[in-house]
Amino acid sequence: MARTRVPDPAPHGDPGLQPERTTLAWGRTMLALVTVSAIFLRWLPHHGWPILLLFAVSAAAAAAIYFTQRRRYGASARGITRESIDADTSAVLWTAFAGVVLGALGIGVVLAA
Amino acid sequence: MSSNQPPPSGPLPPSTPPSLPPPPSRGRIAERLLPGGTEPDPRFTLANERTFLAWIRTALALLAGGIALEAFTSDLFLEPVRKSLAVLLLLLGMLLSAGAAGRWLRVERSMRNKTPLPLPLIVPLLAGAGALAAAVVLVFILWR
Repeated sequence: MARTRVPDPAPHGDPGLQPERTTLAWGRTMLALVTVSAIFLRWLPHHGWPILLLFAVSAAAAAAIYFTQRRRYGASARGITRESIDADTSAVLWTAFAGVVLGALGIGVVLAA
Repeated sequence: MSSNQPPPSGPLPPSTPPSLPPPPSRGRIAERLLPGGTEPDPRFTLANERTFLAWIRTALALLAGGIALEAFTSDLFLEPVRKSLAVLLLLLGMLLSAGAAGRWLRVERSMRNKTPLPLPLIVPLLAGAGALAAAVVLVFILWR
């Protein structure tokens, strides 16, 4: 006997599920960072210990996303409800900064090899 | 498929209970980087954030590709070709990360000020560098 249950309405009432989609986009980015950190680790025998710096940066960025997901969803759901959201400037800036640092470290590793 | 209750249909009523507290003041970084204008539709702000994240994932793929290319094509490419391709990919990943943040800021500003959205400079950057990387590989393969 299949139990059917009408799901609770989303707390924000947005039929476009914007908070969910945005939180999932951060989750995908976190997974990409985990994958990238595993790829860096894979080439540890070839590049030597400096590659651990790249691993550390990407793993730390992934962890930072992981631990802010709940707060992020809450903030965007509340923002949709009150029709005004505070743009997450700091999260955008540190994510982009992590990408720039990874690129600079990577160029250093490749040129030093 | 034996539910008697129909699913809720139609758009949910707009919910802006008057009991909600007023929005908190914006952070200092946001005040500095996104001055003036009015708060845009929150859906647009979130969409802008998701676009930024899609660019970041593209940049991450290029960064991982640059590191892996340097390592696993060591017996395939000559060293200068291999290194220049790896540096090209890493540089592109770096520029795209920074460019994605720049674009996010410019789009957020133009939404606050109700001006037309800026053209994305990172699109020709990605296309041009991708074509350049393909050309390097093509020349190498033809010459080898």
